[in-house]
Amino acid sequence: MKAVEVDNVVVRFRPLADGTPTLRRIVAAAPHKRDEVVALDGVTFSVERGEAFGVIGRNGAGKSTLMRILARTLRPDSGSVRISGETSTLLQLGVGFNPQLSGRKNVYLGALAMGMTRAEVDSHYEAIVTFAELEDAIDRPLKTFSSGMTARLAFSISMFMRASVFLVDEVLAVGDDHFKRKSMDAMRQMLDEAGTIVFVSHALGQVRNICDRVMWLENGRVKEIGPAADVIDAYKASEE
Amino acid sequence: MTLTADQKPSLWGWRRYVSDLWGRKDFAVFLIQGNLTARNSSTALGLMWWILNPLLSAAVYYVVFGLILEGHRAQDFFLTYLVVGVFAFQYTTASMNGGANLIQQNSRLLVNVRFPRLILPIAAVAESLAGFLTSLVAVFAVVLIQGAPISAKILWLPVVIVIQTIFVLGLSALTARWVVPIRDLGNLIPHITRFWFYLTPIIWGLSFLEGKPQWVVTLIELNPMYAIVQLYRVAFMDFPFVMQDLVTAVTWAFATCILGIASFTRSEGTMVRHL
Repeated sequence: MKAVEVDNVVVRFRPLADGTPTLRRIVAAAPHKRDEVVALDGVTFSVERGEAFGVIGRNGAGKSTLMRILARTLRPDSGSVRISGETSTLLQLGVGFNPQLSGRKNVYLGALAMGMTRAEVDSHYEAIVTFAELEDAIDRPLKTFSSGMTARLAFSISMFMRASVFLVDEVLAVGDDHFKRKSMDAMRQMLDEAGTIVFVSHALGQVRNICDRVMWLENGRVKEIGPAADVIDAYKASEE
Repeated sequence: MTLTADQKPSLWGWRRYVSDLWGRKDFAVFLIQGNLTARNSSTALGLMWWILNPLLSAAVYYVVFGLILEGHRAQDFFLTYLVVGVFAFQYTTASMNGGANLIQQNSRLLVNVRFPRLILPIAAVAESLAGFLTSLVAVFAVVLIQGAPISAKILWLPVVIVIQTIFVLGLSALTARWVVPIRDLGNLIPHITRFWFYLTPIIWGLSFLEGKPQWVVTLIELNPMYAIVQLYRVAFMDFPFVMQDLVTAVTWAFATCILGIASFTRSEGTMVRHL
């Protein structure tokens, strides 16, 4: 059973012609074709339910664009994306947080932003705070939290999302070693419960640790898809 | 900017959009509450600025147009007339400015999380509305102090507020939608609103319209803010009720709202591209 099916997805950005078309550019109306950037160029892959799928590649290879496509905040120019069930985004931790508000309010704000219902947040609230180990600080304004504490809170909220596909972007680098281990364990447990993970990272060690299969993106194209160890070795070899 | 065929909302698409929107109402409520709390705690006077801002501009206008240019000669109860206009216009300006900053301010949310984007202009207008309702305290104070005739027509007040809210929601969505691809618009907006403000009888009395060519009068009267401000004066100052103003205001409100929402929701799929 496929959890994610991406078929021949193309995303183009036109940084000059319509990236930020200012009046001057509209009036000039000169199409700067040569400035077109193809962020994803016919990307095709699928992820099985319960699988941990890694995406690696250099900066600008198209990883972030792919995540936006999977989060469905960006519509591809062509191609199709099929995702069975809900997705939860663990990318860009702390999205939707308001630093002026208390940690407690931010648990609600962040969780509601990501699609939880009020009742779900109510029922998970204690568990979220306990998992983040922030029982003592939770009523303080978020701006008084350290960046590690904020990241822990954001990660904990994501862990309690009811979703079948988790999109993870570098988040395992949050918190201290103790929390890193804890979050790795939580991710593994999620996988055991047949959750699907798409994991984008530069931390090749973590990718190798968690992922079953890995896709290597280069200049918006799929360079290689295969067992984690093989693809990572090939990628490392190309780096040298 | 290209719109692909599947972005055209069908009737089915609209119904799903509305139910998505409704499903996210808790998020909207928290977003509004959060922004209000944050705004209140970020400056010493907090929400008091909602009253102070229009009050201070009204004070400036009063000195120039009331005292120096003797506005009371052209208009009875000039101070009340001015304050009602300034406060009502402030609601429109605040919503337009809110719309202009909306997408940039929430870019991280937009890039990462999928939700009906219309929540953002709705939340922005709800915030402006909260500010406007608070500021009405000052309007009532001025009405009472100057002793402008207040009557049962005050019952028009909630009606006008609803009409203006529908209008500014459309306006906010329109600005939010077009400021993203055309950044220059952000610089133009203060000039547009200022020009608009001067074209509305707020700092100048209605008697200035007497003896002007009919087309000028008609043009001024077709201005949505003319109709809205005049309706507020019906409520606060016992101005005679003019049916044409109500028709103008309601027509503008619904047309702008429908256009704004349609234009905004159609661009949802491409919005993230510009961030």
